[in-house]
Amino acid sequence: MPEDLNSIVIKDVKFSYDIEEEDSEKAPRLALDGISVTIEKGSYTAILGSNGSGKSTLAKIIDILEVPDSGKVVIFGKDASDDNLFWDIRAHCCCVFQNPDNQIVGTIVEEDVAFGPENLGVPNPELRDRVDQALKDVGLYEYRHRETTALSGGQKQKLAIAGALAMQPDILILDEATAMLDPSSRDDFLTLVEKMRVEKGLTLITITHDMTEALRCDKLVIVNKGKAVMEGRPEEIFLSDNLWDYGLKRPVKFNFAFEIAKLTGSTLTKEDLRSDESLIAALTAMLKKPGIKAPEVSEDIKTQDEKDIIMSVKGLSYTYDGNDAKAIEDINLDIRRGEVLGIVGESGCGKTTLISHMNAIFRPSVGDIIIHTKDGDLSCRNKKDTMKIRQNVGLVFQYPEYQLFEETVFKDICYGLKKMGIEKAKMHKMAYDAALMVGLSNDEVNSSPFELSGGQKRRAAMAGVLAMQPGILVLDEPASGLDPRGRQEMFAIIKKLRDSGTTIILVSHNMDEAAVNCDRICLIDHGKIKAVGTPEELFIKERAEELGIQRPRISRFSGLLQEKLKKEFPGIVFEGMNFSPEKEAQSIVRSVCRAGGADVQ
Amino acid sequence: MFSKISLGRYYPAHSFLHETDPRVKTILYAVYLVAIFIIQEPVAIGILGGIIILQLILAKITPGILWSTVKPMLPLALFIFVINIFTIKQGNVLFSWKIITITDYGIGKAVIMAVRLIFLIVSTSILLTLTTTPLKMSDALEKLFAPLSLIKVPVHEMAMMMSIALRFIPTLAAETDKIMKAQQSRGADYDTGSFINKVKGYITVLIPLFVSSFRRADELAVAMDARCYRGGKGRTKLNPLHLTAKDVLAGVMFTLLAALVVVVDFSLR
Repeated sequence: MPEDLNSIVIKDVKFSYDIEEEDSEKAPRLALDGISVTIEKGSYTAILGSNGSGKSTLAKIIDILEVPDSGKVVIFGKDASDDNLFWDIRAHCCCVFQNPDNQIVGTIVEEDVAFGPENLGVPNPELRDRVDQALKDVGLYEYRHRETTALSGGQKQKLAIAGALAMQPDILILDEATAMLDPSSRDDFLTLVEKMRVEKGLTLITITHDMTEALRCDKLVIVNKGKAVMEGRPEEIFLSDNLWDYGLKRPVKFNFAFEIAKLTGSTLTKEDLRSDESLIAALTAMLKKPGIKAPEVSEDIKTQDEKDIIMSVKGLSYTYDGNDAKAIEDINLDIRRGEVLGIVGESGCGKTTLISHMNAIFRPSVGDIIIHTKDGDLSCRNKKDTMKIRQNVGLVFQYPEYQLFEETVFKDICYGLKKMGIEKAKMHKMAYDAALMVGLSNDEVNSSPFELSGGQKRRAAMAGVLAMQPGILVLDEPASGLDPRGRQEMFAIIKKLRDSGTTIILVSHNMDEAAVNCDRICLIDHGKIKAVGTPEELFIKERAEELGIQRPRISRFSGLLQEKLKKEFPGIVFEGMNFSPEKEAQSIVRSVCRAGGADVQ
Repeated sequence: MFSKISLGRYYPAHSFLHETDPRVKTILYAVYLVAIFIIQEPVAIGILGGIIILQLILAKITPGILWSTVKPMLPLALFIFVINIFTIKQGNVLFSWKIITITDYGIGKAVIMAVRLIFLIVSTSILLTLTTTPLKMSDALEKLFAPLSLIKVPVHEMAMMMSIALRFIPTLAAETDKIMKAQQSRGADYDTGSFINKVKGYITVLIPLFVSSFRRADELAVAMDARCYRGGKGRTKLNPLHLTAKDVLAGVMFTLLAALVVVVDFSLR
């Protein structure tokens, strides 16, 4: 059989992590179940799929970090089952993983970059040249003598790229490498990787949950239950209607476009989806069609402007020991009862420091936080109030699943309640209520937290905080690392909590989600509050530019369409901004009907 | 609070001792370890203190860094001091009450013991951890113990394990801090209550920490695998160890100084 020298060929590969036991009744769960994929040399491919679909395993198979149980893997004509080619294949394929900390071996930046080529036995001075060049390529050359632990998350991921480049690979695999980065480091990182791909002629494979990120690729492969269920160019894949079955969504702008198509009774083709220009041209054409019906205004249930303050932060400042700069400085903020307040800002701006004060994990030294409860005011400066504050203000840190420790989920949920000294019968009810709120079944509640899937663990850990029925809930990046479906479920839980009267403080660096889910947004920059206001106020183009923040993707794309429509319909008046793609689409169609409708009559 | 631990941490700087060959530093460390435990005379201890100060200057270690290294060990030094004061009954009695007897000899001895411990920590820091990156240290140990591989001791693997352990100290310290905060926000209390309760409280930290360490170990192993790690065979080094005349000179000089201290000590007994 002639081997294809210019592609990665995966054929009928099966793989299971479970070790087969002789007397086990059930067959081992297959992580890969007869998957077949072909990836061209030099291409830019995204592998998409829900958590646990087998996409990371596929990446490991390509780098022969796992050996398939059956099936064939041929990398650029080299058969992976040939023991003589094993190291040759692995040496030419590099991976960058999700958690930056868990892939750094060296204490000093240049030592870490050298680790790969040292393993390959690259001699000096070539080794030195490679390390220096790789560090220059990623822009970390000035940091070469720094400690790796002193780097930021984005820098650590760039370091991982440098470590890969120093091995001079043909294939680079990014396994959710951007998942833990904030939006600006994310863009920075992807731009860098794409530049390297062009310069070094790499075959780039990225595994991601971010659909807009996937749009940058030439080809998408969708993996579900260990099989490749769809393969094609992004515009072909996103035309399909069954993405949701695989735990995926369309990118925001496509959701918006498909809603307009639906409202105007038109259909989109894959040519339309190819670029922003073609999509806007297609949408404009649709909107110019005669006889479009204006959709009714769907009533937005906004809570009336509640003036009741539940928590006030007063002149709060904090400096970490041994640091000169203040982590947060003179923060003044009132939180209204029943609202969802978003706290946004770049990594390291002081968001986590601020929320750590909110339930007295950090005791204010300058300034104070007052919590207004039915039983009077609580001050975070007052040590006696600590327990009451922690009961009233629930704080869920990022990746809360890492704090689970009990034998069963139920016991873990009860931990806080026990500490509060709540009687047993009441405790059980409160724990089950919390489990119900986050959607855990009875079976799950009685199993070990370490047997649950990632998303379930996250919800179990949240239940541990919710059980105390806090009036205020502070959530630090509650959806990070979850797939699109998991994110949607998480925000549904948040909405349910809000509807039941809980005040929510949501820390996020995803502007799309902050805009849709928050009543007000507080922007923090270098430890200070830069702006507070409703999403509609902050994300107006001029205001956002002035503040230096990225607008939600939907606003940016809708803005482009509106520019075009202004030329087609002089005098068109647009309604205010909407952050849900569907509502924004309806609002655009209504505006066009008003402008165009007048013409027809 | 855990993120400030400097035990086992590297202090990046360009100094004479930073650039000295780690093998020389390792051997010197062994020499000073012996010297610290042999000497008993205050004069000898004073001279040794002087040498240590000289080393601190040569390593460009600031008083702040030194303090953060010594500080966590002070309770232990104090403990040793107290134990010695109360248990040594020789010498002139200064104070006596019921079973407690304090003597001048006891105080002298206690001071010496506590100072020795502090010297030990400072020497470890100057000669090894603060001035030598973990990877260099593992290189040095690997080279020094290379003969052992002849009798099938996995020298390279052990050195690699040690360097990874040191590399992860700050990471795990930060993680401990994070987990403690998370549990505190659920009502955990690590400061008050009986001793038993405190110990029980730490279970809520230790279990998640273990689980996460295993997860990290797993991920790191895959990452190292992906970067073609396959043991010490055929590995090259970015910064191979070169023994220069300067290194040898430093080694001989400091060994002689240590010998001088020991000689002074014996001559005064």
